[in-house]
Amino acid sequence: MFDLGFRIWDLGLIGMKCRSVEWLMIFLVLTLAGSMLVACDRQQAEIPAVAEMRTMKDDLGRDVRLPEKVTRAVSLAPSITEMVFAAGAGDRLVGVTSYCDHPTAAKNIQKIGDTQSPNIEAIIAVRPEVILVSTASQLEAFASALEGQSAAVFVLDIRGLGDVADRLRRLGQIFSSGERAELAAIEFENRIAAVKRRPRAKRPARVLLQISEADLFTIGRDSFITELIERAGGMSVTADIPGGYPKLSKETALALDPEVIILSDSPDNLKPNDALRNSAAVRSGRVYRVNADILSRPGPRLADALEQLAALLRQEPTGN
Amino acid sequence: MKRANYIFLLLIAGLAAALVAAMLLGSERVSVFEMTEQGRAILFDIRIPRVLLGACVGASLALAGASLQALLRNPLAEPYLLGVSNGAALGTLLAFVLLGDVAGARPVMAFAGAAIATFAVYQMAKSRAGMNVERLVLSGVIITTFLSSIIVLLTSLLDAARLRGYTFWLLGDLSQATYNGFYLTLAAAAAGTIVLSSQARALNLMMIGERDAFDHGVEVGRVRIIIFGAASVLVGTSVAASGSVGYVGLIVPHIVRLVVGSDNRLVVPMSAIAGAIFVVLADTVARTAIAPRELPVGAITALIGAPLFIFLLRRN
Amino acid sequence: MLEARNISVRYGPCDVLREVSLSLSEGRMVALLGPNGAGKTTLLKALNGTLPAAAGSVVLDGRPLAELSRREAARRVAVVAQENETKFPVTVLDFVLSGRFAHGGAFGWERAEDISVAERALAECDLQNYATRLMNQLSGGERQRVVLARALATEAKILLLDEPTANLDLAHQAMIFRLVRGRCDTEGFAAVVITHDLNLAAEFADELILLHRGGLFAAGAAEEVLSEANIAEVFGVRSLRDANPATGKVRITPVF
Repeated sequence: MFDLGFRIWDLGLIGMKCRSVEWLMIFLVLTLAGSMLVACDRQQAEIPAVAEMRTMKDDLGRDVRLPEKVTRAVSLAPSITEMVFAAGAGDRLVGVTSYCDHPTAAKNIQKIGDTQSPNIEAIIAVRPEVILVSTASQLEAFASALEGQSAAVFVLDIRGLGDVADRLRRLGQIFSSGERAELAAIEFENRIAAVKRRPRAKRPARVLLQISEADLFTIGRDSFITELIERAGGMSVTADIPGGYPKLSKETALALDPEVIILSDSPDNLKPNDALRNSAAVRSGRVYRVNADILSRPGPRLADALEQLAALLRQEPTGN
Repeated sequence: MKRANYIFLLLIAGLAAALVAAMLLGSERVSVFEMTEQGRAILFDIRIPRVLLGACVGASLALAGASLQALLRNPLAEPYLLGVSNGAALGTLLAFVLLGDVAGARPVMAFAGAAIATFAVYQMAKSRAGMNVERLVLSGVIITTFLSSIIVLLTSLLDAARLRGYTFWLLGDLSQATYNGFYLTLAAAAAGTIVLSSQARALNLMMIGERDAFDHGVEVGRVRIIIFGAASVLVGTSVAASGSVGYVGLIVPHIVRLVVGSDNRLVVPMSAIAGAIFVVLADTVARTAIAPRELPVGAITALIGAPLFIFLLRRN
Repeated sequence: MLEARNISVRYGPCDVLREVSLSLSEGRMVALLGPNGAGKTTLLKALNGTLPAAAGSVVLDGRPLAELSRREAARRVAVVAQENETKFPVTVLDFVLSGRFAHGGAFGWERAEDISVAERALAECDLQNYATRLMNQLSGGERQRVVLARALATEAKILLLDEPTANLDLAHQAMIFRLVRGRCDTEGFAAVVITHDLNLAAEFADELILLHRGGLFAAGAAEEVLSEANIAEVFGVRSLRDANPATGKVRITPVF
């Protein structure tokens, strides 16, 4: 379950819708691929294929053939876009999704649709050498459909904090920007380590991360945010619940009685659910909002998220 | 009438048992004998309003289904089939988008949506030679698909965060129950039971045939308006409170008819009680099956309802 | 009791019925004759208000039919329509009891009186043991008798019957005509009967009305209406006319 551009947890909910969209996509891709074949053949003929090729393993373990020097790439997830920029190769991006809004420079890159339904024609039109996708993004079908094109599809699967530095280095290899990527990776590792070295409370605070107020979605066992909270010196009260982003029973929310409530910032999540109105967190005023993008995009800004969470969890109760 | 009285008693006892069971079960254990403050909050603030709301929603949907089936002489008619549910859903969505959290906006808009959908179907189905049932059902299908496409369009235009709350609700979800929602649906269900029961004998004749009913003294046009109006109120309040909980209006009256026959004077009130039992039990499953996670109750009613419906269809 | 004055009925732009008059008084039995599409059923529907008259008026017991509530009209006029099928399982007794609707209150549960009226009507139509049978499991002829029983159960004095004998065997055809005739003779009933059986009409009816292309072609006693010329003109069939040796009434035999 990974970054699809908007909040990751939206995925399961719109799953049903995605299903049909997905089939439609496959259909479209196949028809388009067929009709584009002629055009692409011509393109290949025009550009002399003298560029030297190399092979790299992606996160699905596939051997992907890449040009020695990648100059044109498309990113199909905002987290990947942030990673590419951090790895010093933002200038090679020729296409990103409409959700890719960070860093600011990403806003000016050609949009090729959103993460769920990228526009295949638009992607082919920007003539990428590499298309970077994230696994869980139901885009595998889409990816394999693009396989026949001259563009390589590289799967970058970032499952949490521990993967970020490694994938930055990998991107450095892909884009031959090893030095800058290495610097970014080291900086990221240092920031994580610095948080770890900070003094923390003897007992980790019991944290509930609320994703939406009315229907009370939260994080479960499989969400990387659970780990993020632990590293920040807290513990997620919903860490044992199976799944990534479960809808939590209000009764259980009340019974869990969290000491800290983190609201991922969004228009439908401005205050804790009613069931939590007498919780320790609300009574002591330990309810905090955190930017939903830095929380939900598994990319370089996870370091920001970690630092913010750590700072919040160190705060003393202020309330009445 | 003796047998019918026993069945009534049985249904009422069943409802009482279902309510008690539902109030005792949940994702958290609450001991009734050693009531803690937390237990009291769970029971009275969260569980009981939800169980009661479920009962009223079940009763409302089953009432609407039973009376529409008799009126349209089609055992397969359902609020959903006629576009009434979708009208209510669209009304609620519009309230959600345009009016936000204005108190009372959702049920009012849901009723308006249901009533407009019903009126549109009625106008489309009416012809110079009166209304024929095939035409009505066909109009219902057209309205339903039309409204669905508007709903899809609107949800596509909404940004993801706002869409999220709505998507789960569309599947039928009781987790946002409040006492106010319960009072409103209770009032609708009670009024609906009385109004529809008062038309039950007329419905018996309408069920045989509209011309037949007319010949025997039924003011056919008036009965039709009363039934459509009552169904709009019932479906509107239910959908506003809990989204589209499917299959209740179809399955419940069907089973009641298998037991007591087709007399609407029995079918209408008994469907109300049986519908309440059905939704209360289904929601108990939705609350506890994968606790502390939750399922939408609409998924449970469809899971039970669809196979049961196919079975009943094959038996006939 | 029931009078139609120059009524016309329209479906869309075309007149289905043109300026037809009919008068029904106590004890009389009128037979409506005519080929398919002549307007017989339309006239019957206009007589109980199912179809509004575009011109002319229908007067029931001295009051325009349009002013009466459905309940009032139904207490006075009972209809036996052509078949009506329901997808719901309804018992014969419940079906016949539905004829008591106009006598009941709004929430309407039947009283003992309603049930005894219904049972008597069933017995009169030779359906004593049918009360608990389901309508959709009966034969066409049985169902038709149940529909007649329901009309009797309404206790309306005016009966409008649309081909009540179409699916019946000889014995039950005679039974039904005898029953209606009997009610007219002894209990002050009046009846309009649509039939294709000219001989049954001649045998039982006081007055015959022959409709042709939506208009009144002939009306009066069997001897006048059922002339060989009329039959040839209206039905397009050559026929022989003589007298029934048993009753002396007009008898028509088509010649093919």
